[in-house]
Amino acid sequence: MAAVHGDAHSHGHDDHHPSGIMRWITTTNHKDIGTMYLWFSFAMFLVGGTLAMGIRAELFQPGIQILEPELFNQFTTLHGLIMVFGAIMPAFVGFANWQVPLMIGAPDMAFARMNNWSFWLLPVAATLLVSSFFVPGGAAAGGWTFYPPLSTQGGLGVDLMIFAVHILGASSIMGSINIITTILNMRAPGMTLMKMPMFVWTWLITAYLLVLVMPVLAGTVTMLLTDRHFGTSFFNAAGGGDPVMFQHIFWFFGHPEVYIMILPSFGIVSEVIPTFSRKPLFGYSSMVYATASIAILSCVVWAHHMFTAGMPTVGQLFFMYATMLIAVPTGVKVFNWTATMWRGSMTFETPMLFAIGFIFLFVIGGFSGVICAIVPIDIQVQDTYYVIAHFHYVLVSGSLFALFAGAYYWIPKWTGRMYNETLGKWHFWLSMFFFNLTFFVQHFLGLAGMPRRIPDYNLQFADFNMVSSIGAFGFGLTQLLFLYVMINCIRSGEKAPQKPWDGATTLEWTHLPTPAPYHSFEKPPVVN
Amino acid sequence: MTDKKESDQKQQSVDFWRIAKAVMFSFMGIRKKSDLESDAELLTPVQVIIGGIIGAALFVLGVMVVVRLVVS
Repeated sequence: MAAVHGDAHSHGHDDHHPSGIMRWITTTNHKDIGTMYLWFSFAMFLVGGTLAMGIRAELFQPGIQILEPELFNQFTTLHGLIMVFGAIMPAFVGFANWQVPLMIGAPDMAFARMNNWSFWLLPVAATLLVSSFFVPGGAAAGGWTFYPPLSTQGGLGVDLMIFAVHILGASSIMGSINIITTILNMRAPGMTLMKMPMFVWTWLITAYLLVLVMPVLAGTVTMLLTDRHFGTSFFNAAGGGDPVMFQHIFWFFGHPEVYIMILPSFGIVSEVIPTFSRKPLFGYSSMVYATASIAILSCVVWAHHMFTAGMPTVGQLFFMYATMLIAVPTGVKVFNWTATMWRGSMTFETPMLFAIGFIFLFVIGGFSGVICAIVPIDIQVQDTYYVIAHFHYVLVSGSLFALFAGAYYWIPKWTGRMYNETLGKWHFWLSMFFFNLTFFVQHFLGLAGMPRRIPDYNLQFADFNMVSSIGAFGFGLTQLLFLYVMINCIRSGEKAPQKPWDGATTLEWTHLPTPAPYHSFEKPPVVN
Repeated sequence: MTDKKESDQKQQSVDFWRIAKAVMFSFMGIRKKSDLESDAELLTPVQVIIGGIIGAALFVLGVMVVVRLVVS
């Protein structure tokens, strides 16, 4: 506690910063940049969510009601792109910006100016993506995976998307280099690698994955661009190219990307569960090893996304076995979280509810992933709503629920105010109910054969689609409650105590006042 | 002189097996705390990273061998 008082005192006179809009444009402070990342990602979440509402409104009943098929395809494409690149990924970078320096005892990120640049590239890319709806021919409509030949035949919207992906990739690479350098070089004395909090570990490994695969994505979209405008035929069979090669290159990026979006979630959940179980994380070292092995294995399973694209039996079996084996380290993590809670003095505040919801639903998504990994089953469910259900269980109840858990957990540290616990719990339970209402029934739709990315469907799918759409509208509206809870907390929440979570043990709770001062850890703490 | 050489060789072989064990257990995602602590003392990050890359290559080869056996 002495450390806390000492730190607060030493920062009292340094707590100044530029005011007005220039504070945000010119800032190099990791907290400001983290805040901007989080608000940006939430804004994009609302944009992507609005597109999802459009999709579900169209699918509420069979027949074409609201969206023409071409516009429907643009909605599905941009929904995926915006949610993946605009919402989930920047949100995790926002958490990294806020939390990594606070958790390792560093004063800021290693490359503070590059940090500012990484962020301000994002609104440019988002503008390109959203404005592509208004150019002749509309936005890209070939799905978020932009397979050729659809993407080589599309209009100006595809070019805008390619440019946006380039910019987003550059931003991600810079952000990752910043995070790696910060973690490896700026840890407080005594904070050895194996003493780092799990959230920091997961982000270190994620950042390496990003540096590895984002250039692959950049290469892919560049090849697409030259195919479109400069006479190359990388993906054009008529010119000697191969459209299936695009799928291989894309998914060599795309599958590690899945883990890029889930590993930081593992990190957040690994902070929240020990805190509210009042026990140290069970098997910390196993968790570190499991995260590292998941990262390595994630690079050798990509072709399970393309079992129906044509590949030899040997290839199908290789990717099937490798994919099923990746479930082992992931399962280890689930057992560790469960063992952490076992006989703990558990309480169920909102962050803990979201963390437990994460485990429960992520396991469902993980199991349906193993099911999809089995070649004969995947050939049946490829491009059906079963796959949609599977990856939404991973990315919504996985990544998004972990982001909510993290937001509720750290908002007192960020703002110095408590959120409304009752409304937070309402947010959780409504999200839980409507999420399952939306996506669980999509398993049945997929098994019955309903294809994805279609605006119309046969009559036998009508009931489950209506249920799913009602769930989606409910889930969408529930997220406005989250926005209200957060704004209410920032503007008029009760003053947070120094350490609102008595089980918290990481540096930001034990060595810093609440709210965290604008400049923190100018003198590094000593970790014993 | 010969003794020193022998002990160096012994040390290298111990390190090799230690790296192999650390990587193997990491692929399963489990490791005893006492083993982890001695890993941290005796192994460098570079050794573990190189071991991990070799381990990944062996993993790929191992799965391929199994697949070949299954389809043969």
